[in-house]
Amino acid sequence: MNEGFSIRQVFEGKWTQGAIPLVLLVALLLIIEITAPGFLTGETLALLFANTAVLFILATGVTFAILLGGIDLSIQAVASLASVMLAQLLPSLGFAAFPVAILSGLAFGLLSGIVHVKLRVPSFVATLATGGVVTGLALWVSDGRAITIEEAGREKTAWINATLAGLPVVVLISALIGIVSFLALRYTRFGRQAIAVGAGEPAAWAAGINVDRTKIIAFAASGMLAATAGVVLAARLSSGSPVLANQLLLPAIAAVIVGGTAITGGLGGVARTAVGALIISIVRIGMTFVGVNIFLENMVFGAVLIAAVAITIDRSKIAVIK
Amino acid sequence: MTIDTEPLKSVSDIERTTLMTLLPGRIATMLGGRRWRSLAPLAVLIVLCVLIAVANPNFIEVRNLVRLANSAAVPLTLAMGLTFIILMGSIDLSVEGTLSVAAMVVVLLAANDSNGNDFGWWAVLAAVAAGTVMGLISGLVQTMLRIPSFMATLGMWFIGLGLSVYMLGGSAIRLNDASIRDLALHRFLGLPLAVWVALGAFALAAVIQYHTRLGRHILAIGGHEDVTKLSGVNVTRVRIAAFALAGFFFGIAGVLAAAQLGQSHAVIGDGRLFAAVTAVVVGGTALTGGEGGVVNTAVGVLIVTVLANGMILLGISPYIQQTVQGLMIIAAVALSLDRVRLKIVK
Repeated sequence: MNEGFSIRQVFEGKWTQGAIPLVLLVALLLIIEITAPGFLTGETLALLFANTAVLFILATGVTFAILLGGIDLSIQAVASLASVMLAQLLPSLGFAAFPVAILSGLAFGLLSGIVHVKLRVPSFVATLATGGVVTGLALWVSDGRAITIEEAGREKTAWINATLAGLPVVVLISALIGIVSFLALRYTRFGRQAIAVGAGEPAAWAAGINVDRTKIIAFAASGMLAATAGVVLAARLSSGSPVLANQLLLPAIAAVIVGGTAITGGLGGVARTAVGALIISIVRIGMTFVGVNIFLENMVFGAVLIAAVAITIDRSKIAVIK
Repeated sequence: MTIDTEPLKSVSDIERTTLMTLLPGRIATMLGGRRWRSLAPLAVLIVLCVLIAVANPNFIEVRNLVRLANSAAVPLTLAMGLTFIILMGSIDLSVEGTLSVAAMVVVLLAANDSNGNDFGWWAVLAAVAAGTVMGLISGLVQTMLRIPSFMATLGMWFIGLGLSVYMLGGSAIRLNDASIRDLALHRFLGLPLAVWVALGAFALAAVIQYHTRLGRHILAIGGHEDVTKLSGVNVTRVRIAAFALAGFFFGIAGVLAAAQLGQSHAVIGDGRLFAAVTAVVVGGTALTGGEGGVVNTAVGVLIVTVLANGMILLGISPYIQQTVQGLMIIAAVALSLDRVRLKIVK
C-alpha cells in the first residue's frame, strides 16, 4: 500500500529500526573524524557530552509529552524562568534556590497538563499559551534583563561545573536523569500507561487507564526536567535570562524525533532521545570542526535534520503522515 | 497529529457525555451549541474592541485604526498561507525561514545599498516565486521522503534562515527602490498599499478555499485523509500544492515585511511563526485539521493585533503582554474549539 511497508520488509524485525539512529550517530562521528582528524579524543568527547547535557535533559522531558502523542512547546520558557529564579534567589536562599527553581518548573508543567486535560485544549496550543505566560513572568521578574550570578552565588553553582572521576558533573547529572527517566518509562505503571495512551488513546481509555492523570504527570515531568535544564544552563553560563533557552526548544524536539521516537506517540523512549540529542549536538559541533561557513551553518543543519529524520523515523507505526 | 479514531466510536460517546459536563461545554450548549461556538472568536473580538475603546477612546481614532490595519498586514498574509496547512492537519514551521528568504531576494534584486541590482518589480516577482519554491520543496520533502510536516518544515526553517543570512552576509541591507517602498508609504483611500495587498491575499485565499477544487480537497484531507484517498483524490499532489500555496503567501508577506522595514536582516522573521499559529488557532481553526478556514483566521489575526495594540494603549507593561496573550489563547480556544466533534484532544 505504501513504501513504508516495503522498507519495513527489508529491515525485518524491530531491532533494526531501533538501531538506525545509532548507526547514523557512529557514521557521523566517523565522517567528522575523517574530515577533521583529532575529533575522536577523550577531551573532545567529554566536551561533546557536556555540551549535549542541557539539550538532552530538555529533550528527555519533552519525550514524555511526545510519547503520549502530545507536544510541549513551553519547555524553553520554563527553562529560562528557572534560570532567572536561580540567579535571583541564590544570594538570599543559598542552596535552597535549586529546589525552588526546579519546583517552579514542576508547577508550570502541572499547569500545562491541567489546562490541556481539564479544559480539553490541544497540547500544542495549551503549551504554546503557557509558554507565553511563563515567558511573560520571566521577563517581568527579571525586568527584561539578564542577571549575572555574582561571585558568592558562583561558589554555590561551582559543583555543577566541576568534574568528578574525570567526567564533568553535568554529564553525570544528565546520565542520572536519563537512567531514572528510562526506568520510569519502562518499569513503572505510569511509564507503561503513558506509552499505551500514546499508542492508542481510545484503547487505553477502554482498558481503564486514567488517561488524564497520566497526561498530567507527563507534562509535570516535562516541566520539571525543563527547569532542571534551565538551572544547569544558568550554572554553566553563570547567568540567568528570560530568553536564555529560547534557541533550544526546536533542537530538543528535533533530538527526540531524530532519535526515532514517533511524533504521533506510543513508540520510542529516553534511550533513543539520548542518541538523537548526540546526533544534533555532533552535527552542530562537527560543522565547526569541518569548517562550514558560519553563515551557512543553519542551512547545513536544516538539510542534515531532514536527512536524519528521513533515515531514522519508523514509518511502519504511523498510519498517515501529516 | 495523526489520529485514527475509526475503531472506537463507542468510546467517543462516553467521552461526549463527560465533555458536556465540563463548564465551557455546558455554557456553549446553553447558548446554542455549535452555532454559537463558531461565532465565539467574533464575539471575543467585538468584546475586546468595546472594552479597549471604553478604557481608552484613542483606540477608535482613525489614526490608530490605520496603525492597527498596518500592523495586521503581514500577520494576515502569513496566516492565510498557514491556514491551508493547518486545515490539512499538518503544520508549517518554515514561516520565518520562507519569509526571510523572500525578504532577502526582494532586497538583493531591487535597488539596495549592497550591490548594483535594480530590477524593480521583477524583484518582487522573484521573491514571491522564491517563497513558492520553498513551499514546494517543503511539500516534496514531506510527501516524497514521508516525513511528518513538523520535521520537514522545521528543517526548511533552518535552511531558509541560513540561506538568507548567508546571502545577506550577516548584515542588514537597505531597500532603496522607491516604488517597492511605496507599498508601505503610499496610501490609497487612507490605508497603506500593504494593507490592500493583505486584503487581496485574504480575498484570494477565500476564493481558493471556498470555490476551488484544491480548497475542498485540502479540507477533505484534514477531515479524513484515508477516506479522501479512497475517493480518488491525489492526496500527494494536493499536499504539495498546498505547501506551495502557503509558500506563495509567505513570499508576499516577506515582500511586505521588507517594504515596511525598508531593509532585510537576519531576524526579520523573528516571532512571526508563533504569532501566525496563535492567530490561526484563536480564530477557531482546529490543529487536527478539517475544521475552520481563512475567514476564521482573519478574525484570529484581528484578535491578536487588537489585543497587542490595546495593551500598548492601556499602558500594560510589555513584559506582561506575552502572559496576557497566553491566557487569551487558552480562553479563546477553550471557548471556541468545537471539541464535541474532536474525539481525542492531543
